[in-house]
Amino acid sequence: MKSKRVSFSMKRVGLIAAVTLREAVRQKLVALLGLIAMGLVAGVHALRDFNFGASELKFIADFGDGAIAGFGAVLTIVLMAQLFFSEIENRTALTLLAKPVWRTEFLLGKFLGVVVVAACFCGLLTATLAAVLWNREAALQLERPEAFAAGGAVDYGALWIVAWLHWLKLVLLAAGTLLVASFAQTQIYAVMLGFSGFVICHLQAFAQVAYGRGGAGLMTVAATVIHGMFPDFQLFTLGASGEWSFGVIARLTVYAAGYAAVALGLAVYAFRQREV
Amino acid sequence: MTAVKPPAVELRGLIKDFSVGLRGVRLRAVDGLSLRIEPGEVFGLLGPNGSGKSTTIKVILGLLAPTSGECRVFGVPSSRVEARVDVGYLPEAPNFYRFLSGRELVEFYGRICGLGGAGLGARVAEVIAWVGLTEAAERRVGTYSKGMLQRIGLAQALVHDPQLVILDEPTAGVDPLGTAAITDLIRQLKARGKTVLITSHLLTQIEDVCDRVAILDRGRLLLEGAVNELAAASARSASETAETLNAAEREELRHWLAARGKTLAAVAAPRPRLDQIFIEQVGRNRPPEKGERL
Repeated sequence: MKSKRVSFSMKRVGLIAAVTLREAVRQKLVALLGLIAMGLVAGVHALRDFNFGASELKFIADFGDGAIAGFGAVLTIVLMAQLFFSEIENRTALTLLAKPVWRTEFLLGKFLGVVVVAACFCGLLTATLAAVLWNREAALQLERPEAFAAGGAVDYGALWIVAWLHWLKLVLLAAGTLLVASFAQTQIYAVMLGFSGFVICHLQAFAQVAYGRGGAGLMTVAATVIHGMFPDFQLFTLGASGEWSFGVIARLTVYAAGYAAVALGLAVYAFRQREV
Repeated sequence: MTAVKPPAVELRGLIKDFSVGLRGVRLRAVDGLSLRIEPGEVFGLLGPNGSGKSTTIKVILGLLAPTSGECRVFGVPSSRVEARVDVGYLPEAPNFYRFLSGRELVEFYGRICGLGGAGLGARVAEVIAWVGLTEAAERRVGTYSKGMLQRIGLAQALVHDPQLVILDEPTAGVDPLGTAAITDLIRQLKARGKTVLITSHLLTQIEDVCDRVAILDRGRLLLEGAVNELAAASARSASETAETLNAAEREELRHWLAARGKTLAAVAAPRPRLDQIFIEQVGRNRPPEKGERL
């Protein structure tokens, strides 16, 4: 008989992640969302009339930021749910889990496959945004050199920091969606709860402040509980000045990793009880 | 002293209940099933749809947890990952990653099972050749026919050279040629000393390849034994019918044949086919439907 001990293996996680990634890049949804988002960012110059009084470069940067956040969230939530349920519904999970594979490895593999797609998405869109900003900044420097006497107006380093923060949020969304998918019976349920989580994560800090002003009450307690349960996405927004420090970024990374680890731990627990 | 080999599969009083609907009504899929499959045996698990065959297989593979009872694979509780080290599984109507080629698919499962290095490529080529898919190995799995899917499924099940091979309806939807090829592969597995657990609705196929069979219905074990013994037991009742011909009647029959230029070589009861035994056993277990003629 062969050796019986089967330890948790990151190699198997990597193999499952690689297959998930290959499946993800073949999804029409990924190509569609990626192309629309890149097209919008690349063509933002045509929309500059809708700048609401902001400077043109700031408008482009904010627009790109919004495109990464919005399309990234849709991509991550839908892709995570779709790739998880395709394994269950097509019964490929059956064949895989009939091998000496831990369910934790399976879930982590699916998760890693999706967060790599999210990283590529953030990277590509940020590179596109940087190219658009650089191009427009160069044109403006020629038109109005006096406005750039103090140097360039765009902090390109900060763009990549913002991309990292966006990716952290997408990691959290992927983990949250996977948690729901691990016990949900339908893909649409996981997607709907994923989007609900996205909204809650963005608005919960406002709710807590708003209810906190009104003094103690049931809603304040509820807002506080939700504040503890869900990560606060407002923390991942750089200030208007765009200032950042490595300390803040490191703290946010640990904050996101902590929430993601808890969500994944709960997903593993739920999935271990699930009858495949 | 030689160590006693544990059975390949051992089920003891296995019960599996499912909760159905919002009220959580219990549905018993497997009811007190006890089975023992010895190493090197080809064992057929038979039963009509909904008899608990697939549930039993899923419990053996650790995909479902038993409600009560025990399930061990080579002496290891099936809930443990270790129980699946020496197991290959071909699911019913298999579906694989369509975007991978046949070779990539088998290689993927080989790596998952811990194979690697130069040996992996050779092993993948070997099992692909064994199931007769060498020419189609570089084609995407999405382009495969049903029979080819079954064969690539068999290749992924065997890539890590498991001792126990579980085949869930391996010939479902496959044409007669494909069925014959798969039956032949099962025979070869037996010749290589593998334990094979097979479920199939094609009972004649089971009869040809299995050493022992178990018939399940509504989650309960109706009958278990060696195919020959079951057939012989059933044949005894048939032979009584044949032997009701007395000597005079036999002589009359002999004359009748002789008048037509034929000779009576022997009077023998036909050996009942497994499907007859199956229908008889399952029919006996089921109360007649309302309005059904008795």
